Amino acid sequence: MKLTAELPVDESSGAVKARRLGLGFWLPMSWMILIVGVALLAPVLPLKDPTDYFIRPGERPPYPPSADHWFGTDQDARDMFSRIISGARVSLAVGFMSVTMSFIVGGALGMVAGLVRGWFDRLASFLFLVLLSFPGLVLVILFIALIGRSVLTISVTLAIAGIAPVGRLARAATLSFAEREFVIAARTLGARNSRILFRELLPNVIIPMGALVLLGVAAAIVAEGGLAFLGLSIEKGETWGKLIRNGAGSRVLRDSPWVAFGPITVMFLTLASLNYIGDYLRDFFNVRETGLGR
Amino acid sequence: MRFWGLRVGMLIALLLAVSMLTFGAMNLLGDPLFNILGPVAGDTENPENIAKIQAAKEQFYLDRPLPERYVRWLGDFVTGDFGVRFSASGQPPVSEIIKERLPRTLALSGMAMTFTLAIGIPWGVWSGSRSETARDRLSTGVAFFFIAMPNFALAVVLYYVVGIRLGWLPLRFDAGAPFWQRMHQLVLPALTLALGGAAVYQRLLRTDMITTLQEDFILMARAKGLSRRHILFRHALRPSLFSVVTLFGINAGAVFSGALIVELIFGIPGVGSLFVESIFREDFPVVLALVMILTAAFVVMNFVIDILYSVIDPRVRQ
Repeated sequence: MKLTAELPVDESSGAVKARRLGLGFWLPMSWMILIVGVALLAPVLPLKDPTDYFIRPGERPPYPPSADHWFGTDQDARDMFSRIISGARVSLAVGFMSVTMSFIVGGALGMVAGLVRGWFDRLASFLFLVLLSFPGLVLVILFIALIGRSVLTISVTLAIAGIAPVGRLARAATLSFAEREFVIAARTLGARNSRILFRELLPNVIIPMGALVLLGVAAAIVAEGGLAFLGLSIEKGETWGKLIRNGAGSRVLRDSPWVAFGPITVMFLTLASLNYIGDYLRDFFNVRETGLGR
Repeated sequence: MRFWGLRVGMLIALLLAVSMLTFGAMNLLGDPLFNILGPVAGDTENPENIAKIQAAKEQFYLDRPLPERYVRWLGDFVTGDFGVRFSASGQPPVSEIIKERLPRTLALSGMAMTFTLAIGIPWGVWSGSRSETARDRLSTGVAFFFIAMPNFALAVVLYYVVGIRLGWLPLRFDAGAPFWQRMHQLVLPALTLALGGAAVYQRLLRTDMITTLQEDFILMARAKGLSRRHILFRHALRPSLFSVVTLFGINAGAVFSGALIVELIFGIPGVGSLFVESIFREDFPVVLALVMILTAAFVVMNFVIDILYSVIDPRVRQ
């Protein structure tokens, strides 16, 4: 580590060749491809209707897992497998949408603050500090109490909560590049701030930030689940959080644990994969960071 | 002195900004009149209703401009009077409701933070001293499980495994039970909140430990014939306390907001359920008070941690 930090590493050749993505990367990656693919293709796949009641005469639902219902059914005899997939659509959509928004807004604020400094930097930093002062979900709960609870509003609220951590990272990354030779060179050549921002800084900042996107998606999915447990998630449709909550009543849990454990397993595998790939990418790109020296 | 003055000024500025944001959002996005009067508030034709609206506006100071209401509310808030509820009677006062609910949430959070330290620190020290053995790899896997598992899902898993299947710990919280029994009932929910944080401590301490154990002063201590435990906890752990303290502050936010959710799952009548009920009733003074209390607790806690830094390491003051 120390050695590479001092050596002028040629980024294009040596660094890339030595590192390969192993099984530890591809295993969680294939799970993500599977779950995202199934979620996207759900309308054309031959799945049972998640809102249909498959009541068997003479038997009381929930029915345990069987060849007919792979993950069993819930208390209303609805197929858990297709409900989990329908929940995946909303949970993943909320995760990716909110992260996209927070990266655009937070990233822009943080990068401009890191580049122009001065009063704008102080204002943005204070804004981040204020947003970070709310512990965890409290800020999200505050906004959701005031506006409606659709997929879009939940995503926007989670995005607002994500602005500060993303903005701080973008600012720190920008600061570490803003005084570097290539930026000074561009400035000497008469480049405007906007050009420096997009052509010089963005390509450098976007790589370490990009590795954090997946961790952000995981965090947003968890936050949505937490809201679902508070009864504050989207009003219509299914999410993983709502499905778990539905199976979490003490009687249902004791007599038919599959109602909760199906969605818990799928959600856990997704979160674990996102975390794992995210960590992997972060390490992957940190090597380049240290290689460039600071 | 100047350093402390700046720090305290920053803390106050932060709390003021947080309260303005919260108060402003509550009053600009929500319409308090509807919660006090119900549908009557929308009626601008019937003179009887107009009189009611006027009376309610005066009673709750809603006819005054927003800044004045903010200053009024802030003045009351800092003296411990959180105002009246947005309901027809306004009773009981918000302070009373919170005084009943908050201690339970604080007890749960406090217990969770204690568990986090009590589990995370020995775990991290242990796995750091045995890095790259099979047992270390297993403990890394376990830590990874707790980090990826969200607290509400872990709550359901522990509820089922420890509570229902094994029956080791009580599942329901009984507010009328004697003190020790209530503490016993809080163990499982507190454990739920603690395990994720403990796993993060483990990851951090393990890495720190591996680095520290290669230092010369550890070799020296070993050469002096000190016991393994003495070396690990007295010599090797101390340089890592800085990061432990940092993590404690960050983790506090997760514990506070996690407590709201875990309370609901284990049926603890703390501020979590109060929060949700008030949101659905649009009882904003209660929501406002809760947001402010939780945020202030979190901010002040991190302020204390900042002070601790400069006590541990005077270089931070610059």
